[in-house]
Amino acid sequence: MENEFFLNAGVPLSLHFESSASMPMWHSLSSAMEIQGTEVNCLSEQSQDCFLNPNWEKSADHGVHFDSALSSMVSSPAASNTNLSNDSFVIRELIGKLGNIGNSGDISPHSQPLLASYIGGNTSANTSCYSTPLNSPPKLNVPRMDHLVKENLPSLGKSMPLNSSVADFSADPGFAERAARFSRFGSKSFNDRTSQFGIKNTDVSCRSYLPMDTEGLPRVSSSPSLNALGSQMGAQENNISPLQDRTELANSQEESTVSEQIPKGETGLKGSNDVNSRKRKTASKGKAKEATKAEEANDKSNAKRCKTTEANGNENGPVKAEEETKGSTRCAGDEKQSKSSTKPPEPPKDYIHVRARRGQATDSHSLAERVRREKISERMKLLQDLVPGCNKITGKALMLDEIINYVQSLQRQVEFLSMKLASVNTRMDFNMDSLMISKDIFRSNNPSPHAIFPLDSSASAFYGHHPQQNPALHTNVSNGTATQCPVDPLNTAPCQSLGVQLPPLNGYSESVSQYPMYGEDDLQTIVQMGFGQNTNGETAILQPRRFHVSDQATHAKVEL
Amino acid sequence: MASSISETNFEESKRIKRRKTGDELRDPDTIDHTRWRSESEQRIYSTKLFEAIRQVRRNSSPVNKVSSGRDIQDAADRVLAVAAKGRTRWSRAILASRLRLRLAHNNKKHKKARLAKVTGSIRSKMPEKKRFIPALQRKVKVLSRLVPGCRKVSFPNLLEETTDYISALEMQVRAMAALTELLTGSPVDRLASTSDS
Repeated sequence: MENEFFLNAGVPLSLHFESSASMPMWHSLSSAMEIQGTEVNCLSEQSQDCFLNPNWEKSADHGVHFDSALSSMVSSPAASNTNLSNDSFVIRELIGKLGNIGNSGDISPHSQPLLASYIGGNTSANTSCYSTPLNSPPKLNVPRMDHLVKENLPSLGKSMPLNSSVADFSADPGFAERAARFSRFGSKSFNDRTSQFGIKNTDVSCRSYLPMDTEGLPRVSSSPSLNALGSQMGAQENNISPLQDRTELANSQEESTVSEQIPKGETGLKGSNDVNSRKRKTASKGKAKEATKAEEANDKSNAKRCKTTEANGNENGPVKAEEETKGSTRCAGDEKQSKSSTKPPEPPKDYIHVRARRGQATDSHSLAERVRREKISERMKLLQDLVPGCNKITGKALMLDEIINYVQSLQRQVEFLSMKLASVNTRMDFNMDSLMISKDIFRSNNPSPHAIFPLDSSASAFYGHHPQQNPALHTNVSNGTATQCPVDPLNTAPCQSLGVQLPPLNGYSESVSQYPMYGEDDLQTIVQMGFGQNTNGETAILQPRRFHVSDQATHAKVEL
Repeated sequence: MASSISETNFEESKRIKRRKTGDELRDPDTIDHTRWRSESEQRIYSTKLFEAIRQVRRNSSPVNKVSSGRDIQDAADRVLAVAAKGRTRWSRAILASRLRLRLAHNNKKHKKARLAKVTGSIRSKMPEKKRFIPALQRKVKVLSRLVPGCRKVSFPNLLEETTDYISALEMQVRAMAALTELLTGSPVDRLASTSDS
């Protein structure tokens, strides 16, 4: 049965090879899925038939068949995995063909979503929710799908809007499961794409797909369907990045599921990709290039979930195999390489992405890319901790925005504070120097807030207010004033005088003893002492700490 | 904090690796961003800043010109760069720039640059959806302009520098606010200006 489809679709039989194995998975998946589609379950059986054959053959019937087939597939929990898996391939083919048809607007909205969801579901649970793997031309009457499709599968250039159905698929918790599994396997061929997808299908289905893609090089390269699939896969992958931002999901649950799946899939895939790549380093340059490109593209798309998915898709589309010529050559090259190098590759790696970039991860270029990406993400995480309010922001662009704003605000604050300090500077006369010093120490020693009055407006009322604070302060102040040394009150000269004038330095013998050493180190020590006592002083920007400068000033004057 | 954990890893790898000055090979592990949070660091900075401000005042008084905020800011930045011990690119750039640029030139440059950055960042948000490469690249450029001395630094290193720069700036703000509060006797509201006494 399945074979038929593929044959009909021009897809090599090997494709569904494991569809039987995948079937159970799909089955569970589909059962778990929340299917919006009300259609039914006949799909599993019919799907292949009506779906593949008639659809392909009759353009006119496409919509209808798709509709029924997709809906049944999507909605029916009974839908076999194989159906889905097969259908995914089939769908892609169909989509490719339908693309033309779709343009004409024949495809019914229903079928389109189903198709989209189908494809999305097959390829990635995550993507299905958010994006339609196919680009849907505006001609299609399904705006949502168009949007999704466009973004998702620019490569295909088909106009199959795959909104709702995709969403349905993605909502399936089974997808998440598969995605997790997929990520574990770390599709090496799909380095970035798969990671982004976060595991679209079960491993089995992946396997089934991949082998076809990678091993069937000649077939793959020759068959446009594969290219379409590949592009689809690529596009879907790209879509994953925007997936998270999509809010087009019919179900919030789907969205949540998808979002869960996506990070899961992504992280898992990335990790697995790394592992795989490291394990195998047989990737060829061509593969590496594609992988790198894909990685970069995927990376970028990941980084910018909300953004320009189309752009990503476009990039990936061509890369993947959007243009058949390009894609075919690339695919062929990659496939060949992957075939040779990925003898042992894990089937799950290949399974979703028709692109079949097996061994991509093992390429030195892709490895380097991955390392680079991880470095960047590591640092972005550090920054996320640093910049307040960035916990929920994902994506490089948004994070950069936040970082830029934060740095600008900090610089503005510094500017403002420096202006304030400058005004204080100008206002004060040379006594300020000693005042400053004493203030530093005073501040540190004085836990209770006191109003700090500038010398100009000093009032003797506070003179004896805080005897504890005064000693250190007026020691300094007296030194400063005594020496009348505007230049360096902290010089040793004042220190000497300080030593002489130490009336009430009872509690501050410490500081006093340190004064004689006065140089910068000592000042630092003094300040530290002060700070040590007042650990919160420096950080309590908003806490008023006031000192009676006037006390010191007056006291100093009195002493003098 | 995560950064501290990563920092320890970094430190280890730093000991193992030889630090390279190239952008690509720069060893990010050498930089410990958490040191800016320490009290001692802030104390040291406050002390030095205080000294620097006094010097500024002293230097400017003969000329009988009011010490502008810009002067203070430059002094503060310089002290901050010194506190960074030259391990980071931005600190070295600050120290180097002081030798080259005149204050007035700095004022114009920074103000223009800041305005440009502000508008640039705003602008960058608009075409975001149209072109994804320019948006990200633009932001990277904006950020690289914000962090001194990091205009041609690679993105991962730029992020590293930014992390350290942000930590240092936070410390600078804390220290300066405390100092201002000390001097003016009024609490400094970070977000709003308080009346000067």
